[in-house]
Amino acid sequence: MAAAPLSSSSAEPTAARIEQLRRQLGALEAPGGHPGECSALLALGNPAIDGALGGGLGLSALHEIAAAREAEVAAASGFALALAARMMSWRGASAAIANSWQAREDARAVSLPASTRNVIWIAEEFSLVENGALYGPALDGIGIASERLITVTAARMRDVLWAMEESLRCRAVGMVIGEMRPRGIDQVATRRLALAAAGGNALGLILYTAPDDAPSAAVTRWIIGAASPLNAERGHGIGPPRLLARLARNRRGPLGTWIVEWNSVEQRFELATHSEPVAGAAFDRPHRTAVA
Amino acid sequence: MTDRIARQWREAPSPLVVFGKRGNLDLLLAIDVAAERLGLAAGLALAQARAMHPTLAAVPEDQDADARLLDAIANACHRYTPLVAVDPPDGILLDIGGCAHLFGGEEKLRDDLLARMMRLGLSARAAVAATIGAASAAARFGDVATTADASRDARERLAPLPLAALRLSDETVAALARLGLKRIGDILDLPRAPLAARFGADLLRQMDRALGREDEPLTPRLPIPHYLAEKSFHEPITREEDVLACVERLAARLKTALTARGDGARRLELALFRTDGAVKRIAVGTSRPLRDPQAVRALFVERLAALGDEIDPGFGFDLARLSVLNAETCADEQIGLGTREDQAGLDRLIDRLSARLGRRRVSRLVARDSHIPELAAASVPAQAMTPAEFGWDTFRRFRAEAGLSQRPLRLLAKPEPIAEVFALVPDGPPARFRWRRALHEVVRAEGPERIEGAWWSEEGGPARDYFHVEDTAGLRFWLFRAGLYRDTALSPPRWFMHGLYA
Repeated sequence: MAAAPLSSSSAEPTAARIEQLRRQLGALEAPGGHPGECSALLALGNPAIDGALGGGLGLSALHEIAAAREAEVAAASGFALALAARMMSWRGASAAIANSWQAREDARAVSLPASTRNVIWIAEEFSLVENGALYGPALDGIGIASERLITVTAARMRDVLWAMEESLRCRAVGMVIGEMRPRGIDQVATRRLALAAAGGNALGLILYTAPDDAPSAAVTRWIIGAASPLNAERGHGIGPPRLLARLARNRRGPLGTWIVEWNSVEQRFELATHSEPVAGAAFDRPHRTAVA
Repeated sequence: MTDRIARQWREAPSPLVVFGKRGNLDLLLAIDVAAERLGLAAGLALAQARAMHPTLAAVPEDQDADARLLDAIANACHRYTPLVAVDPPDGILLDIGGCAHLFGGEEKLRDDLLARMMRLGLSARAAVAATIGAASAAARFGDVATTADASRDARERLAPLPLAALRLSDETVAALARLGLKRIGDILDLPRAPLAARFGADLLRQMDRALGREDEPLTPRLPIPHYLAEKSFHEPITREEDVLACVERLAARLKTALTARGDGARRLELALFRTDGAVKRIAVGTSRPLRDPQAVRALFVERLAALGDEIDPGFGFDLARLSVLNAETCADEQIGLGTREDQAGLDRLIDRLSARLGRRRVSRLVARDSHIPELAAASVPAQAMTPAEFGWDTFRRFRAEAGLSQRPLRLLAKPEPIAEVFALVPDGPPARFRWRRALHEVVRAEGPERIEGAWWSEEGGPARDYFHVEDTAGLRFWLFRAGLYRDTALSPPRWFMHGLYA
């Protein structure tokens, strides 16, 4: 604020000046859990979902993913790892899809050097016993560069939260995924994590092993489950991971439910609308016209 | 020149003896001063001693406890020198060459050591001599006042001592005694060849070692650090902040030494010597050579936080020593190149996480050269790794060439047996199965992928047929049948759950 020159304050306020002040305000408010417009976004690579998110998941912010039920932790971790894969191969503005929000994305294309795109996966030991540990040979298939993944196990929930907070503050980390049971974490803890995320440049992701509806400081909450196969598909080969993704909380836009498939070659989510008529979300999807 | 101190200890509360079985007899092994005044001596039969003094308090020996005490004392002796060796059953050897002057000379060091032992309620004898043999002989058998006088000639000092002081076997000592040879002086000038022929080479070797004619190495009980810095306190410190401040000061001193040699620390140990003789050792590792005192302090902050109450300062620490256990060449760093800074930031994070949670809990995934699923990948402490060793490039090439099927995202630590498996054809995928009490109806399946165990070892067990199946809810599993139906004569095949797909 002190940097604002005196002469400009006496000049007639222009639209540009107001816009600048607005941005400054936004930046000031950012640590409070509302990431300002200036923050970079991690797009999911799908216009419908990214549209609902206003471009993608904000970096320097906390997000939550919950498994639809405990048996579906693998599906939820698949979703989280797919996001991690997108983080590792950060494309920023170069994504193939062109539409209105993408244009905005272009305008503030953020370059993220490879050295800052490390992913840290933190899990409670209990959960690893219950749900299995990440298996290296599979990560490659999702598109994760295992060289840039660090796994941390902790005996107690407290240590998971501490490790997440520390990792979120590190500038060399692009994404921090903390796997935990929903019961042990309260709003103070999520608030701390959100603040830590706002201070760094990493995307914080809490991966709950079961759904939870407690209030939290996260910007979005996803409930991820496995999408059941259609009758027509019985007896056929098993395709790419197909997930039922429900955006259950979104501070920046509408909610929605999608059935998505992870395209590991192009590293983006694709809507599996052909298989499930209910996939259409209850909001306007301008990209449809843009593509046509 | 190398100096040594050999010490001896005994337990000493009220009139008390310690006994133990030697041969068929319960013998007195150690006695306290009060018992000595009663006319008892070590080596006496317990029955005889009890006949003489029916009220005698006798406790059976506990060799483990003795060894532990000896080890604890040896630990406390590290305050004098890093070269400390345990000389069982009752001695500790210190190599004080080059460090005696720090305590005001050999005599002062010995006095300080004895005073410390006395305060701990231990009666000890100590002697300084030029060889291990001479020091041990003087401490155990000598009149400390005269024999420990380092200025006198080793021959002269050893001559009046009994032959047992040469660390010989009992039989040798007894055989020599039968010939009237009782003191070391008796054999010093005898012809060597007949002595060796009659009593073995050991006699001559022990004599030569005591006289310094043959070198005897000291085997330190702990590795000798490459660098160390220490600070002693007149007023013992107890607070964590004081310890950390001290760590930072010591690290600053180490930095000078490390920089001079172009090294950085990979593993550091902080030894805190408590006034009552206990020693706390706290080690931290780093993922890259480290010199920065602030960073060293930060690591110990995490370590101390993780240890919590385990660091019991008692009445305080009066000596702190920071040593570098592993050092590595550390290139001087440039500042301002983004990538390097990020890497350094990541390394610092790994170090802090490792210090707090434990080295093994912060890991990287590494590909291993094995076709058995659970052996194909491993977690290796992130601190120990450099990216070149991960092996994923090799794995990717192999995967592309072999057309490896998609693997499950999460692998269970141990394959879990599944029950009520119902397969349509004997070698086909299951149509339904029960796992963790839930019944799963399979709608889609891929497989089998047969993975044989290694024929040259038992590793991996019988052949496995893996199936990738999906149930009605869309859950995807990786399960296998161990054993083939054609081998049912041996044992029926069993089914296991091994992994979960997204």
